[in-house]
Amino acid sequence: MPALTMAGVCASYGDRVVLSGIDISLEPGRICGLVGPNGVGKSTFLKAILGLGVGTTGKVLVCGRDFRDLTRNELAKLVSYLPQNFDHRLRLTVHEMVLMGRHPYRKGWAPDSGEDLKISGECMKEIGVWHLRNRLFVELSGGEKRLVMLAAAIAQEPELLLLDEPGSSLDFKHLLEMWKLLERLSGRGIAILVSTHEITVAGRYMDLVLALAGGRVLASGPPTGVFTPETLSEVFGVRLKVWREEETGSWLVVPGDGNG
Amino acid sequence: MDERGAGKPGGLFRVVFIFCLVAASVLSLVTGAVHDPPSWVIMDMRLPRLVLGLLTGAALAVSGCVLQAILRNDLATPYTLGISAGAGVTAGAVIVSGLMVPALGMVLLGTAGALLSVAVVYSLAVGSGRGDLGSSLVLAGVTMNLVGASFLLLLEYFSGASRMMEIVRWMMGDLAVVGWSKPLFLALPVVLGLIVVAARTGVMNQLSVGDDIAYSRGVSVRSEKNVLLASAALLAGSTVGTVGPVGFVGLMVPHIMRTFVGSDYRKLVPASAVGGMLLVILADTLSRVLVSPGELPVGIVMSVAGGTFFMMLLLGGRR
Repeated sequence: MPALTMAGVCASYGDRVVLSGIDISLEPGRICGLVGPNGVGKSTFLKAILGLGVGTTGKVLVCGRDFRDLTRNELAKLVSYLPQNFDHRLRLTVHEMVLMGRHPYRKGWAPDSGEDLKISGECMKEIGVWHLRNRLFVELSGGEKRLVMLAAAIAQEPELLLLDEPGSSLDFKHLLEMWKLLERLSGRGIAILVSTHEITVAGRYMDLVLALAGGRVLASGPPTGVFTPETLSEVFGVRLKVWREEETGSWLVVPGDGNG
Repeated sequence: MDERGAGKPGGLFRVVFIFCLVAASVLSLVTGAVHDPPSWVIMDMRLPRLVLGLLTGAALAVSGCVLQAILRNDLATPYTLGISAGAGVTAGAVIVSGLMVPALGMVLLGTAGALLSVAVVYSLAVGSGRGDLGSSLVLAGVTMNLVGASFLLLLEYFSGASRMMEIVRWMMGDLAVVGWSKPLFLALPVVLGLIVVAARTGVMNQLSVGDDIAYSRGVSVRSEKNVLLASAALLAGSTVGTVGPVGFVGLMVPHIMRTFVGSDYRKLVPASAVGGMLLVILADTLSRVLVSPGELPVGIVMSVAGGTFFMMLLLGGRR
């Protein structure tokens, strides 16, 4: 059963339709990259799956169940979401931040259970932030903060992980580590839908690519089908040269000529 | 702080803290203008005054916690939403009108005024249609405070010296009571508000990270925010209506408590409730000792202490 199925989905803010005609089927353990120019609606795409401030019409099935039939808590146990923006100044420890991912599994005032502590500990080790557990969140670097938020998202024990540009503002090393981490998480059976601009670094980790342009899905399929000069040039509205680097299997994308 | 972080307050901290509160309460009971007082002074004046102080401290401090979580701003206080302005204008209008309103009626009207002004601030913020409810609320609250203050000045201008004095005294905040009607009246909304907030401390944690994340973790952001706002308004509104605007508790107490227990609201809210009680009781005792056998309004003691605290906060840097 796919972790996420969308068919004929439209996403709108009030009367303004941002995306229409979205079809996707994402199996567990797969990574799907969401690419497209700024403002095309990548974030809206992710929010539409949660109904987060976005009007969603059409069929959205999460683990085979219509997301409208699920309570907020049930949905939170299946899907975790990491937006681009979160409060960076919290004076909570890393461990406390990760424990907050356990919210759907407990009452609003309950203290952390033994299970919460165990799972959050495992997640911190898996993501590689265990050594930071007693540090204050506000004092971490931008890259460390992203990893901590990712650990919290995993502590939610999702079947489907929605990430909104998790690699933005990360340097090469951290970016690479982030994507290797996502690959490892997908190996555990988590389906990952991630919006990104990092085709060169991340393209080779994607099982599936969805290219958005002009409010619709312009192309979808395995990377070999989407990462072509014709498709990417059309998606981004500039002439792009694309080829595959044989040794690593990465896609290289460079501007085609001086004036696009 | 760095290594251990703000995490476990530990049993010892709790014991010491509760002990301080009990000690301060006893001190408050034995302190006063009359030495060796008859039992009715204790039972009908000092004990109700103590209870009123405890309720005031807990209500204002917890209300401050709620607003800091919702507005995602450590400097937010109950008064940010114009609560004191609403209560002040109502109380001022009643005093100027010369109607002989019984003490409890005054309390009810003050509370109603405070809640009304929060309702107006909230509708203004929502109606303004700006995406960010937090900053709209602060903006509308500041506006309400300014409008309320000028309205109060207008009332004072048109009233006689004695009435004006009465308004000014009311605005200073006072815990002095005779009998149990005020503390018993205040107990109901405060206990109710505290229970509603206590059940939502985990939700407050999620809201302090961000609306989108809170939503994705199963929090019904809009309705939870409304419930929390209403509780904060009830807590602070009924308190201000009863004892007048006692400032700085809602700001200072959560701030101090953060350094002890961290920012997890599941710990911060109970700690702030106890801390608020302690602060108000101490300030009230001080207000009766400083100029004994007379007494200062507790609001003045609190404002002087709070102003100093604010300056220290500013000079100490926020790290």
